[in-house]
Amino acid sequence: MTSDIEINVKELSFYYGRFQALFSITFPVYRHKVTALIGPSGCGKTTLLRCLNRMHDLYPHHRYGGEIIYRGVNILANNIDLIELRSKIGMVFQKPTPFPMSIFDNVAYGLRLNGIKKKNDLEGRVEQALIQAALWEEVKDKLKHSALELSGGQQQRLVIARALAVEPEVLLFDEPTSALDPISTTKIEDLITSLKEEVSIVIVTHNMQQAARISDWTGFLMNGRLVEFSETAKLFTNPREKLTEEYITGRFG
Amino acid sequence: MRRNNGKKIRKTIGFVALTFCSLAAGLGLFWLIFILGDVLRQGFGALNVALFFQDPFPPGEEGGGLRHAFVGQLLITSTAVLIALPIGILGGTYLAEYGRGKRISHFLSILTDTFVSIPSIIVGTFIYALCVKPLGHFSAWAGSLALAIIMVPIISRTTETMLSLVPWTMREAAFALGAPYYKVIVQVVYRGALRGIFTGTLLSLARVAGETAPLLFTSFNNSFFSLKMGEAMASLTVSIYQYALGPYSDWHDKAWAASLIITATVLLLTIIGKIVLPGGKSKR
Amino acid sequence: MKRGRKEGIAERVFAASTLIAALAMPFVIAAIFYTLWQAAYPAMEKFSVGHFLISTDWDPVRDSFGALPNISGTLVITFLSLVFSLPLSLGIAIFVTEIAPNPLKGIVATAIDLLAAIPSVVYGMWGLFTLSPLMGSYIEPALKSIFAPLPVIGLLFEGTPRGLDILTASVILSIMLIPYAASITRESLLMAPSMVKEAAYSLGATKWEVIKGVALPHAKVGILSGIFLSLGRALGETMAVAFVLGNNHRIPTSLFSAASTITVTLANEFTEADKEIYLSSLFLLALILFVISFFSLIIAKFLLLKERER
Repeated sequence: MTSDIEINVKELSFYYGRFQALFSITFPVYRHKVTALIGPSGCGKTTLLRCLNRMHDLYPHHRYGGEIIYRGVNILANNIDLIELRSKIGMVFQKPTPFPMSIFDNVAYGLRLNGIKKKNDLEGRVEQALIQAALWEEVKDKLKHSALELSGGQQQRLVIARALAVEPEVLLFDEPTSALDPISTTKIEDLITSLKEEVSIVIVTHNMQQAARISDWTGFLMNGRLVEFSETAKLFTNPREKLTEEYITGRFG
Repeated sequence: MRRNNGKKIRKTIGFVALTFCSLAAGLGLFWLIFILGDVLRQGFGALNVALFFQDPFPPGEEGGGLRHAFVGQLLITSTAVLIALPIGILGGTYLAEYGRGKRISHFLSILTDTFVSIPSIIVGTFIYALCVKPLGHFSAWAGSLALAIIMVPIISRTTETMLSLVPWTMREAAFALGAPYYKVIVQVVYRGALRGIFTGTLLSLARVAGETAPLLFTSFNNSFFSLKMGEAMASLTVSIYQYALGPYSDWHDKAWAASLIITATVLLLTIIGKIVLPGGKSKR
Repeated sequence: MKRGRKEGIAERVFAASTLIAALAMPFVIAAIFYTLWQAAYPAMEKFSVGHFLISTDWDPVRDSFGALPNISGTLVITFLSLVFSLPLSLGIAIFVTEIAPNPLKGIVATAIDLLAAIPSVVYGMWGLFTLSPLMGSYIEPALKSIFAPLPVIGLLFEGTPRGLDILTASVILSIMLIPYAASITRESLLMAPSMVKEAAYSLGATKWEVIKGVALPHAKVGILSGIFLSLGRALGETMAVAFVLGNNHRIPTSLFSAASTITVTLANEFTEADKEIYLSSLFLLALILFVISFFSLIIAKFLLLKERER
């Protein structure tokens, strides 16, 4: 079983200045599976997600505790090359954020950062990423158009393609469909399900049904603590903890 | 029946006050139309092709043009833009990005804002002491430098404002792909704020295109056509000053024509800037 | 690893260049102060600043200089132009925010802002060729005939009205100043809480009473800021007044006096100053102006910030 673990989170704590946001969280992220993080607003699920690609490093007054083991290395250590890390662990945000450039340039952005410059290589990788993101058919004739012309759902898929282009091993999703309409949401959920063949996925969502639909494993957080972590089906039908049950049955939101 | 006197007085006072305000607006508009109308009327009559393509004749002789002044103005102003643009943009970038939230940026922003309205003639005296006196002669470079000093705070503040409007999540998305900060700024944030930065440049250009005082003792004046930046150079604004105060009516006519051109240019730049700016950045 | 190092250097260079560029502005301000101080030092030594400030001499031949005529000219014109423009600015701001119907709002606001865009040398031209003759031939004589006979006030209207005097200069300057206070006041008025205004209306207040009682008090600080901004702008104006001021190094005694301001003196005499002490005195004038206008603008900014913080 341990060989199937992509990321091992061990006793992870996190502090914003003096305020402790996460308390000794431990759980595995399994390879080629979708792991969902759920919990009420402010429980720390997004904070936890952003530890996985060290997004907190962009801001002052952050402190990590514990370890996150990825590829045999603790990525919370000081000597980690963050640029390298982020090409392996990608992130998709809540609001679609295409860059103000053409569709092609958006997807190619990460590739160019990594030094891939040859036209043929770029075109091939861009097409592949767009196919993976189920967007290719819709944009193949307008790659040079501005990405801002796309609809919200399309933009989100573009952003996913952009993240996929650099061929990450893990993709982190921070409430990816909360800003989208129901049809786009379904498309993205299908996409995520199909993507797990190629990447391991961690998704933060405040929508329990969504977590139940698409994830294999689910972690329930409250007040910065991991209350329960188990296979999705089990968590939703037969939760071990009382708090989990109360949350799922809507006792609090 | 209640007494209506109190109410009537209140209403009358209100009416008078509001009428005053409307009249004030009317007066303001009156001045605008009066002045612009005059400039148009007087300047239009003196416009001719020779104005743009001929250099001045000896004083007293009718005819000739202001080619030397038009060219000089263009040279000095465009050099000023070339100097001010990078400094202004980079400065605004620091305030909005690397210096974000730091107390020093707050202080710098205030200082920059204040400097936008500093008397332009003071800038002229400063450059005189710095560049003209030590070298012993006037130069177009000095004039451009003086104009650039006036432009930098405007470009810097506009850049800062425009960059701050780009949503933070866009930067995070670029970081998440592994981009270093400077690439995030140059490749993503600048692109998102391009329109605004361009407008800021236009507005700063409008501001200095009509400036006379900073040029009075830096680039000074030149009766002859010159492209040499190291020497005194004619400019449209200084020529207007010189010609308007001169004794010849031919000179006065030319001054009006030049005023028309300058005013039209500055107003055009200002209006374009106002139209583009509220539109802001990319549509979503 | 190699890529990392190159990126690191590029990052540091870029970040440093932005910091240097940002520091350029305070550096220039300090440099201006230092340069002016250095150049004014000979005059400060010879005349001692206090004496310079109150001396009415301006004699290039006898090498005796004083700032009082210029300072008083600057202050009088600034004061008058503020008196003329501020009520208008206030009225316009109220008109645009409260009275004008929607389509008119933007047009009037933009039109007024255009007043600020007209180059000051064009204002000067217009002043010299259009306004000044009007003032000298019609308006000023009329004013004189009305006010001169009156006690006290009549003193302001002494002298022959020629159109090239403080009054004309102040009128032109006031037109230039209108948009500055108007736009700040306009923004401040817009920030008045609409709920409080609606409450006042529902109590039966007239439109003016709501403006006076709710909107204006909220805009108090903004209006004050606008005053200081106009002040700073007026202090430093050169070209608009240079044409019509008459250029006389004497303390103005009436509205029809020809006078001089620091800026106009600088504009006219800087290139003619042949002696060291002459030039140095001019620099001292410039230094005085720099300090006064700088403080005025800083006060304006702080007031604005205080209001925004609320």
